[in-house]
Amino acid sequence: MRYALRELLADVDSPAVTRAWARGDAAPGLAVWRRLADLGVTGALVPEASGGLGLSEVELVLVLDELGYAGLPGPYVESLAVVPVLLAGRDEPGRLAAVAEGRAVATALLPPRVPRALDADRADVLVRGSTAEIALVGGSLTLESSVDGARRLFLVDGPAVVVAEGAAAGRVVDAAFDGGALGCAAQLLGVGRRLLAMAVRHAGQRRQFGRPIGAFQAVQHQLADVLLRLEFAGPLVRGAAVALRDGTPFAARDVSSAKLAAGEAANAAARTALQVHGAIGYTAEHELHLWLAKARALRSAWGTPGWHRDRVAASLATGATAPIGAVDSRTGRE
Amino acid sequence: MNIVVLVKQVPDTWSERKLTDADHTLDRESADAVLDEINERAVEEALKLQEAHGGEVTVLAMGPDRATEAIRKALSMGADKAIHVSDAALHGSDVLATAKVLAKAIGTVEGVDLVIAGNEATDGRAGAIPAILAELLGLPQVTQVRKVEIDGTTVKAERETEEGVAFLEATLPAVVSVTEKINEPRYPSFKGIMAAKKKKVDTLSVADLGLDPAEVGLTGAWSSVLEAAPKPPRSAGQRVEDDGNGGAQIAEYLVGQKLI
Repeated sequence: MRYALRELLADVDSPAVTRAWARGDAAPGLAVWRRLADLGVTGALVPEASGGLGLSEVELVLVLDELGYAGLPGPYVESLAVVPVLLAGRDEPGRLAAVAEGRAVATALLPPRVPRALDADRADVLVRGSTAEIALVGGSLTLESSVDGARRLFLVDGPAVVVAEGAAAGRVVDAAFDGGALGCAAQLLGVGRRLLAMAVRHAGQRRQFGRPIGAFQAVQHQLADVLLRLEFAGPLVRGAAVALRDGTPFAARDVSSAKLAAGEAANAAARTALQVHGAIGYTAEHELHLWLAKARALRSAWGTPGWHRDRVAASLATGATAPIGAVDSRTGRE
Repeated sequence: MNIVVLVKQVPDTWSERKLTDADHTLDRESADAVLDEINERAVEEALKLQEAHGGEVTVLAMGPDRATEAIRKALSMGADKAIHVSDAALHGSDVLATAKVLAKAIGTVEGVDLVIAGNEATDGRAGAIPAILAELLGLPQVTQVRKVEIDGTTVKAERETEEGVAFLEATLPAVVSVTEKINEPRYPSFKGIMAAKKKKVDTLSVADLGLDPAEVGLTGAWSSVLEAAPKPPRSAGQRVEDDGNGGAQIAEYLVGQKLI
């Protein structure tokens, strides 16, 4: 699957798509969206009964990791990981099928933790999940700015059609938030991998003092440290995916650990890549800038590092010592 | 319309390909193995014909165990089932033996209307299999084509050569080989990838096909490789610095080579 996705994404000029998306031209981005939908990407988490593939979070993180590496703009996390959870079993007019087949783009906001909806003006399905209610909303959208110009965030104020309410709806919203945070973590991993790849390539090409800068140990160590962080974050993301798929009691803590580790790894990758590039990535004209901005924005999207740290700490305070992805807190057995 | 597509797993085109020291056969371990690109186009053409005329698409591969990966790729594109001829005795088979094995394996599929192959594999580059196969099966060969159409029981095709384009027609069943201009292969979808895991792959040995192991492999090959050496690196050539009489120096060099 990863291989099929890579083959398709290798043909996409994602910097051009991203710049067009930020400028206000959605056509190239939506064209890629439809090609990915034909592959099955948008239907990964949608149940087979609703026209999807009925896959799990385990396959989903693999997909979002690759999309992060490719750096594509658009509400992928929302459409792939969040809305399918919010609307599962509440999909009367076949909205999920439309999302799965790529006929509709979906986005979501989960106030207060996710107060703005990404690319709401380009979405056909806009879902709001709050503490005790899931609703389809529409109406007036206000564009707010993000550090990543290709992340177009909107405040939403308009009429709502409630599709579910009560404590059960609140639990679904919590699960959808964890799905979004995990999806974001997977995307961050891909963003980090790309930043590292760009830095390694640059270090091999750029010559100073008569040799490529990558030949200097100080540069090598910096790059190796980034790889180490990414390699440590990878298993946490995959473990959290298993936890969400199996609905284990510590899934929320596992998702927070994954989001934290992936965010910090991508942040380290961004800082190191910028330094190895001799700070040229600050200019918006340089391609590195696109991934730098993504790493920065996604790090605090779907829960800030502080929020996730709190949640891990709260779980530890209960004495739970189960490993990531495990079911039983005492034996740690899966 | 039942179609058999011949596929081959080859070392990645972009990798360095080597021969083994022991018997000068292809070193399959030294490079990533992939489904040959021309086969993706052959599978694509078979699937297009199937969409238009119905029937079943069977993938046929001969190769070591790991060739199953190439077969899965073809199945994930949409082919219905596969036959994998795998046998240690086949190691080092020449084109004649390969064609014999493939002909026997095609014989195990019922009601074959069309056999589609790529024009040549990127590793061996013999390009003779489709022709030999057609001869062995007693079928018309419609090879090296850039366009294929089926009209009732007739196959019409365009063969592009350096001299021009030939328009071919033959009665089904027939053997077709396609060039890289035939189409753009599709990407396997996630659904296709998952479905491919459940599709049937028959694994056959040389004995299952009723062939004598002595006829195939290195022992059965009509020619043998005695020695092989890697291509020598290109030499730098002679450099002419132009300090006013560069033209004369070049002319002298060419006279020395008896070119002018």
